[in-house]
Amino acid sequence: MWTIGLTHYLILAAMLFCIGVAVIVTKRNAIGILFGVELILNAGNLNLVAFSRYRGADIAGQVVAMFGIVLAAAEAAIAVAIVVNLYNATATIDVDSATTLRG
Amino acid sequence: MTELTTEFWFPPAGQLGWFAPELALIATIVAVVAVPIILGRRARLSACVALLGVVAALLLTGDVGRRVAEEAAAGLAPPGAPPMLIADNFAVFFKAFLLLFLTLVTVLWLFGLTGRRPALARRFAAHSVEFFVLLLGSALGMMVMVSTLNLLMIILAIELASLPSYALAGYDKRDPAGAEASLKYVLFGAVTAAITLYGVSLLYGAFGTLDIPTIAAAMAGGGAGVGAALGLLGLCVGIGFKISAVPFHFWCPDVFEGATIEVATWLSVASKAAGLGLLLRVVTAMGSLDDALAITVGIVATATCTLANFAAYRQQNVKRILAYSSIAHAGYMLMAAAVFVPAASEAEPNLAASALLLYLLTYLFMNFGVFAATACVEWETGSSALSNFIGLGRRAPWLAVPMAVCLLSLVGLPPLGGFLAKWWLLVALGSGAAEHDRLWGLVLVLVLNTLFSLYYYLRIIYMMFLRTEWSRPAPLAPHVGGLVLVNACAVVLLLFGTLGARAVKLLADEYAVHLYAAPLARAAAALVP
Repeated sequence: MWTIGLTHYLILAAMLFCIGVAVIVTKRNAIGILFGVELILNAGNLNLVAFSRYRGADIAGQVVAMFGIVLAAAEAAIAVAIVVNLYNATATIDVDSATTLRG
Repeated sequence: MTELTTEFWFPPAGQLGWFAPELALIATIVAVVAVPIILGRRARLSACVALLGVVAALLLTGDVGRRVAEEAAAGLAPPGAPPMLIADNFAVFFKAFLLLFLTLVTVLWLFGLTGRRPALARRFAAHSVEFFVLLLGSALGMMVMVSTLNLLMIILAIELASLPSYALAGYDKRDPAGAEASLKYVLFGAVTAAITLYGVSLLYGAFGTLDIPTIAAAMAGGGAGVGAALGLLGLCVGIGFKISAVPFHFWCPDVFEGATIEVATWLSVASKAAGLGLLLRVVTAMGSLDDALAITVGIVATATCTLANFAAYRQQNVKRILAYSSIAHAGYMLMAAAVFVPAASEAEPNLAASALLLYLLTYLFMNFGVFAATACVEWETGSSALSNFIGLGRRAPWLAVPMAVCLLSLVGLPPLGGFLAKWWLLVALGSGAAEHDRLWGLVLVLVLNTLFSLYYYLRIIYMMFLRTEWSRPAPLAPHVGGLVLVNACAVVLLLFGTLGARAVKLLADEYAVHLYAAPLARAAAALVP
């Protein structure tokens, strides 16, 4: 029988991390980039909970994961507000077309 | 599977007392929201409430500083566990530094209300409550950043400092440039924050603890693997973003150009100072490792100041030039962090730490002086393009002369404070190089970069004094308050470079003694029962 252990969680988290990075690098839509960020954040949370369950001496890892969830929510809230603000100002959320500031 | 339990613990009042400045700042945030409910929304009222709270927090910091000097350094720690938050000399210096700068920025914002054209000023004053809640919130995050060695607190502090900054960058909602600046800032910040969290999870997994001194001790014991190295790298990404070290500097020029001048002023000094404070703590805690970390920091510092100095050459906007200038100065200060590791003496002042504190203190005044002068021009003319500075020497001599003084101090010419800051940094680098030959490279980099930077600083001065136009530009009537701020900064820089040089050096030395001695000892005690 196979038992699901720490390694399985770590591999899943690493895959999530890589997918997140790939999304960030390829997407040109601001909301799409935020999706990638969420994937990386959740990869970190998954790692923390798995490490806390299998290796940690206390529940510190799970506490950090709880904070990580809150942090992701706060960041999404402010990022989406800023994206809406940009849409109001320029009628696009494509990051490649946001090029007024350069030098 | 063992039972995972943790005793509930509430910090006693004695320990909370060490963090009176932070608590005062939290109370101020509540007051900034609550007072307009009773007295009505008025921009000046919000600014005055914020100013009162910040000055109170500054006084409390002085009080904590005296107690830190008398008693041993302490922190917020459950019995037998390493501290979550640390109160020591180092933290006190940075808190006082940040609060002093916050006071100056608040005053600049107040002047901006009358200095701007009426229509713009009204638009600006409409959201004063939100502005100060965000500004004080980011200041609170930065104060926590410089007083912790716990991975959870580091993440939370970086986020608490960053999230309000994103919103501040786009504070003027009708300005498309501000919207674009805040978008770039938030996307860049979100990505680095996510990578930092992933790195922290790896560090936690490798060592089963969130306390950096404990991790460092385990690493020194030969427990460092690939996971730990990747974790440390992730953590450095987060800190590098706050310092705007190369290659995490891309947000800096765009945000400075798009944000309002007050916000750019705040971010230019505070964000970097807090990031440097955090980096120094981490680097020192990791000091028991070999000097791989020092070399890495040295390489990043070299790349940061060199790239920034060359990128500043072709800029046409003064705020953008200043953004690259602030990146370059962050690079110089990173050099102090690189020599920080070898020079770890206890009782006498740490040469690198003292040089860094002196540099930061001088940097505050020269940078604020230049930004305040740019603010005066931007308030009057509506933009900070370099062409608006043409002939400023004749149009507004009382603005142009002190601004030139601040710029020359940024270059590092005697007899100004900037020269002394660079000099002591060179001394620290030289004494570090006596032990580690590789550090001689940093001395060379610093001297060469000072030469490179001469060009773009002098270019602004050339525009102000020597460039003549066919049409005589109209005289400029800068805001009186702004003029006072700029001139005061120039005078302070002159004093730092001449009469007050000794006093400033002694002050920096005083705060460079007994760095983190107590928390580290306690962490070691927790590790070895």
